[in-house]
Amino acid sequence: MTTIAPQTGTGAIRFNKAGVTYPNGAVGMKDLDLEIEPGQFVVIVGSSGAGKSTLLRAVNGLNALTSGTVEVDGQTVATHSQRQLRSLRKRVGMIFQDFRLVKRLSVMSNVLIGRLGHVSAWRTMLNLWPLADREIAVDALRRVGIIDKAWVKARDLSGGQQQRVGIARALAQQPSIILADEPVASLDPVTTHQIMKDLVRINRELGITTLVNLHFLDLAREYGDRIIGLRFGELVYDGSAATVTDADFRNIYGRDFTEDDLLDEDAL
Amino acid sequence: MTLPDKPRASWLMWAAVVVLLVSMTLWSAHGIGFSLIELVCNIAGGTRLLAESWPPDFAFLPRLFEPMLETVFIAIIGTVAGGIMAIPVAILAARNLTPNRLTWWVDRNFMNVLRTLPDLFLAMLFATAVGFGPVAGALALTIFTIAVISKLYSESLESIDMGLPEAVRAAGGNWFQMIQFGALPQAMQQYVSYALYAFELNIRASVVLGLVGAGGIGMILETQRANFEYERVTMIILAVLVAVLIIEEISEAIRKRLT
Repeated sequence: MTTIAPQTGTGAIRFNKAGVTYPNGAVGMKDLDLEIEPGQFVVIVGSSGAGKSTLLRAVNGLNALTSGTVEVDGQTVATHSQRQLRSLRKRVGMIFQDFRLVKRLSVMSNVLIGRLGHVSAWRTMLNLWPLADREIAVDALRRVGIIDKAWVKARDLSGGQQQRVGIARALAQQPSIILADEPVASLDPVTTHQIMKDLVRINRELGITTLVNLHFLDLAREYGDRIIGLRFGELVYDGSAATVTDADFRNIYGRDFTEDDLLDEDAL
Repeated sequence: MTLPDKPRASWLMWAAVVVLLVSMTLWSAHGIGFSLIELVCNIAGGTRLLAESWPPDFAFLPRLFEPMLETVFIAIIGTVAGGIMAIPVAILAARNLTPNRLTWWVDRNFMNVLRTLPDLFLAMLFATAVGFGPVAGALALTIFTIAVISKLYSESLESIDMGLPEAVRAAGGNWFQMIQFGALPQAMQQYVSYALYAFELNIRASVVLGLVGAGGIGMILETQRANFEYERVTMIILAVLVAVLIIEEISEAIRKRLT
């Protein structure tokens, strides 16, 4: 099964002196220089308001930069051009903390939303999905292990299953990049580990560049290849998950960390 | 921590409101020449009319079937056609979904103008345009339905969670796809509920529209009244009452299923 695998060597992200200042004056990102290579699994940590979401949302143009640039595969993310944005977003899947599924529709319909950018508008208007796109959706569901739930309504699934549908929807885009914004923040510890493992496995199997925002330090250490630490919108740590120290985390958070910062409280 | 003192109710304000309401009502009554004394003196005329209207003329009932059906047809056409046309009107008037401010402003004012047009005026307008009869009634109710549903529906759309539309956008969807997959499913229940509500209003309205010649049972009512056939008029009113009750029961049952 190779229906979902992206072209090899794509999915590079590069921030050049990137900055975001919100209309209320809050700084979401400051002079960020960052390069992410294709296929990397990057975990972004920082306390709330440190600019984790701002960073992710700059990659697919949901938030516009106010200075500098961000490039995906060498092309600048052009937030002023709807056409260019759509062609970029086709290749960038996104996973959300609150899943963002159409609750009254079936799992299959939700996953097909990942195909919207690839199918002509009149077809989606009439719900006439080409067979090839249906097959991609089926493949995506199989990869997250919930193919048996294909015709169940999204609202009848558990939180973990709903997030799997979210992942399948992103996979159905055949993305070269996946952005996961706090994907486990509304899940219980057991489900959290399952979802994190799914994300890592998909990254390994398909080589999709994956950026995950997390606020639990132990999760970041356990699942990340590379950890990026943000504080007040600035890059304060960039290194391997294997060598990150407690002192580094203290620096990222600007304080001693407590058991609230860990998923597994016994680990402290 | 102790409970702070409860703020004192302002009796003065309540008194002012009551005085204002009473004086406004009295002034208005004076303005239209309403007097209780006259009402009591003329009540005899009313009782005579009531006596003439009883018992209802049941022999007339079979002749009501066809115009009654026509009334229901007019209401159905008005609800379906108007209900469909209300969707784009509502979307463009929802602040969170409209493509730009100008479209929003134009559509919103269009909606406001529609709502100021009384259904009777619309019926007379279309009766002049396409002739007296049920077609004029159906057209009038179409416009009336757009006015009723679009306002309510656009407010429902404004209160949806914008996370889902954003997710559709993030997946590469265009504006239409964002509306179709991100916005409309969230307000689906409300829409159906408003459409049923509009249907109930339309049944009642299509009776009244008949009075000005827009077909249906209202037209028969008007002819019988003009001929002083009050026992038949009573029969018609009873028939309408029963029909409206039945339809409201059905629509209430459907609405309950939805939630």
